[in-house]
Amino acid sequence: MAKQLAFFVDSDKCMGCFTCAMACKNQYHQEKGVIWRRVYPLAEEIYPHRERAFYSLACNHCENPTCLNVCPVKAYYKRDQDGIVVHEQEKCIGCGNCIRSCPYGAPQYNPVLKKAEKCSFCWQRIDAGLSPACVQSCPVDAIQMVDLDQFDATGLVHYAPGFPKFPALNPSVRFRLPKLPVVVRREGI
Amino acid sequence: MNSYETPLVLFTVFSQLSVGMVAVNAVRSFVGPESQPQKIRSEWLVVGAALLAGMIASVFHLGHPAGMARTLAHLGSAWLSREALSTGVFLGLVVVGIVLMRDKTNRGLIVLTALVGLLALFCMGMTYSPPSFPAINNVLPFVFFIVTAALLGSSVGLSFAPASKKPLVSSIFTISLIVGLVVYLIVPCIWLSGGEVMRQTGQSWIASPLYWARIIVGLALPLAVIWTTKKSPGWLWVLVLAGELMGRAVFFASTVHTATNIGGIY
Repeated sequence: MAKQLAFFVDSDKCMGCFTCAMACKNQYHQEKGVIWRRVYPLAEEIYPHRERAFYSLACNHCENPTCLNVCPVKAYYKRDQDGIVVHEQEKCIGCGNCIRSCPYGAPQYNPVLKKAEKCSFCWQRIDAGLSPACVQSCPVDAIQMVDLDQFDATGLVHYAPGFPKFPALNPSVRFRLPKLPVVVRREGI
Repeated sequence: MNSYETPLVLFTVFSQLSVGMVAVNAVRSFVGPESQPQKIRSEWLVVGAALLAGMIASVFHLGHPAGMARTLAHLGSAWLSREALSTGVFLGLVVVGIVLMRDKTNRGLIVLTALVGLLALFCMGMTYSPPSFPAINNVLPFVFFIVTAALLGSSVGLSFAPASKKPLVSSIFTISLIVGLVVYLIVPCIWLSGGEVMRQTGQSWIASPLYWARIIVGLALPLAVIWTTKKSPGWLWVLVLAGELMGRAVFFASTVHTATNIGGIY
């Protein structure tokens, strides 16, 4: 298997503080309404407790990316050295086909540039030996950058409940599911 | 998340109108020569004008229209590139048809143009069936587009068909209306029994006033007129075109994207 960097989302640790999303915004200063990383609360049907659980998600840097396959102007490419899917904005003509086609909603439309854009996995930071902004900022280590080839995925989930399953795309993200809180009741009171 | 995508509504409907007209013309060409040579050129001019209008509209959905020519760069895997190429070839053949067929038809050219047009329709069907929309990540967009081509091609084509061939074109029109009515009434109901996002799409279509306006104006009303008058009046294409435009707006605006339900049950 070729090297594939991935986000490991530890939903058991995530407390929904949005620091990862803010760090992404601070790093790239996207236009208003353009969000590369989102923090999704899990629905009550999936996590039935008063406490909430969250998935922090951005581009999943799929093995077989739809955005890359559908782009008519070849504005996307997948890096050989680490599997990161890069969008070359200078090639983009703003047709919106990637935005319509990605089932994870990763590419976003920049209304000022009239082009698409998405999470770059901070490949410039990675090339400089740094972590992605979201990974570096998380106060509880709930989002990590891992190499799927080296990563021990025991006990982890590829397609978590609440995350669309598209095996043909093979998104690289991995999840640790949130544990349900234990309710302790004292008998006889 | 979705929008009406007006440029794409106009592009798909008008290009499918022109493909439908050529396809109906091809069917007509197998049942004898055309007896109204004065209408041949005007029919092909309408085909060309509709296609050109659709292609001009499609430019407006690009953030950078100047890059339009580069859409042919990814023929290896992008259906949008293939759609652009096949539609461009179709336009070229239509122009050849307009130039060559002044008072006499050329069956070979008509059939070739119709086949290329159907190929363009297939490419459109593939372009608009991405994995992000489970309800239409299948053959349905192609079916919808074929129905549009048959409805518009036959209803507009009625005005150009010689009297001897009007019953044939009228039959194609009536059958297309019945098929369209069945398809558009049944498909959203089937979606209701699908997965969560597919079910939401079914609900969204059924709750859309445009969906019902399209059923009534574009399908039921023309069928009722044909049923009661036992004729296909030449003006019915106006109702059909209005219905198709409304239906395509529903297609783009009310089909639910998977990403809208992340964190929920799929």
